[in-house]
Amino acid sequence: MIEYRNLHKSFGALQVLNGVDLVVAEGETLALLGPSGSGKSVLLKHAIGLLEPDEGDVIVDGISIATASARELRKVRRMLGYVFQNSALFDSLSVAENLLLAQCDESDTRTVRNLRDDAVELLGKVNLDAAVLTKYPAELSGGMRKRVGVARAIASRPRYLLWDEPTTGLDPVNADNIDQLIFDLGRDLGVTSIVVTHDLDTAFDVGDRIALLYDGRIRAIAPPAEIMQSTDEVVQKFVRRTKIMESAIA
Amino acid sequence: MAWQIIRCLPKPRLYINAALQQAYVMGIASLPLVLFMAFLCGAVTSQQTGAQFTGGLPLWVVGSVLAASVITELGPILTGIVMTARIGAAIAAELASMKVTEQIDALYAMGRDPVTFLVVPRVAAGLLVFPPLIVMADAMGLAAGWFVGLLAVDGLTSADVIYGMRYYFRPWSLVFSVIKGGLFGLTITFFACFVGLDGKGGAEGVGKATTQAVVLITLALMTLDVLLVPLLKAF
Repeated sequence: MIEYRNLHKSFGALQVLNGVDLVVAEGETLALLGPSGSGKSVLLKHAIGLLEPDEGDVIVDGISIATASARELRKVRRMLGYVFQNSALFDSLSVAENLLLAQCDESDTRTVRNLRDDAVELLGKVNLDAAVLTKYPAELSGGMRKRVGVARAIASRPRYLLWDEPTTGLDPVNADNIDQLIFDLGRDLGVTSIVVTHDLDTAFDVGDRIALLYDGRIRAIAPPAEIMQSTDEVVQKFVRRTKIMESAIA
Repeated sequence: MAWQIIRCLPKPRLYINAALQQAYVMGIASLPLVLFMAFLCGAVTSQQTGAQFTGGLPLWVVGSVLAASVITELGPILTGIVMTARIGAAIAAELASMKVTEQIDALYAMGRDPVTFLVVPRVAAGLLVFPPLIVMADAMGLAAGWFVGLLAVDGLTSADVIYGMRYYFRPWSLVFSVIKGGLFGLTITFFACFVGLDGKGGAEGVGKATTQAVVLITLALMTLDVLLVPLLKAF
């Protein structure tokens, strides 16, 4: 379980998170919506200890991130996989080496060759060919880098996954593929996911619940069907595009 | 960061492969440039010494000045400055670039320590590579000074050069040069990593970090150079 308790975070004079309370249950997939710059990525980064809160805490699997020791934090991070918005692949390493870093810890001496089959399987999950293994990030398209980033995040078989706009920049086919992957990981392996997205299709397809971060707080949180029926004007603005599309198709 | 490096250095298993790769870049790939600079350094030293002392002092002094200045000072400091520009700037730019593109965050997210993964291999490589690099630079500087001196300084003979070098040479000078090399290697790699990992603000931030690193390292090398003089005098 991931629990955000009264989380506050500011950057200088800008108050980004202003008392966020949120619980993501074990095995749940939570889709997180919000305006650009509302602090969705900031919220995700707190769960993995990449940012320290001004006030409040994040509890992951019973471990307080704000007070965790270096060893505890490392333990939490090995349980979590993070899909970065811009992939964050290591430029100086090949795709195979990027995956190897995630598959092994520092004491592991296995090589790219030892784990090739696993790497090929991982790439297959994100619809990439084995030929990509020897390529470097600079040789890949933006969409391919994104998918390698997803493969790297799931390489260590984490119990929790934090997805920062996983389908942004992907074509519809690959976006659907990632949505299916998120769904399958939750349903088949019980992975707990928080998916930050602007893509309403993704949010409604994969989310057991959808949360809206607005003005530094969770404005609304409910299953997709309830969110669609919400009378809150801010929520309405977000789901309106989906409603327009649905009525156009009907 | 310094304490993390000290704790990690006695565990080579964690970083040796990466350190050897870095050592290749720092050492082998830098060797032509270092030797070229050392050649120029030796050439100008013997010519200027010959020009200034001709008629005033015996010419074997050219050999003494060459040995004393190249081994204890010019070899290490010019190599250090060249390597600051080549290696220090590259390390700072690379790490700053990794910082602004969230690659450092990605390391943390994987439960890895960026100091162990990125900094220690570079510092270890610096400690390993700089001393022999400086010894080779010293040798090239002396050889170049000798060769160019014979060509450019009227009346200078090989016997003069050898006599002068042997007159002022102390084995401790060479040890001192090697110690300087190690400390310069440590300074360059440590500060380059330190500044690089603090990079922020996109492409402009990477540029700033690189510039800051080069300036900081150059000042640190010159300061260290001054502080090490008593060590030379001690033996």
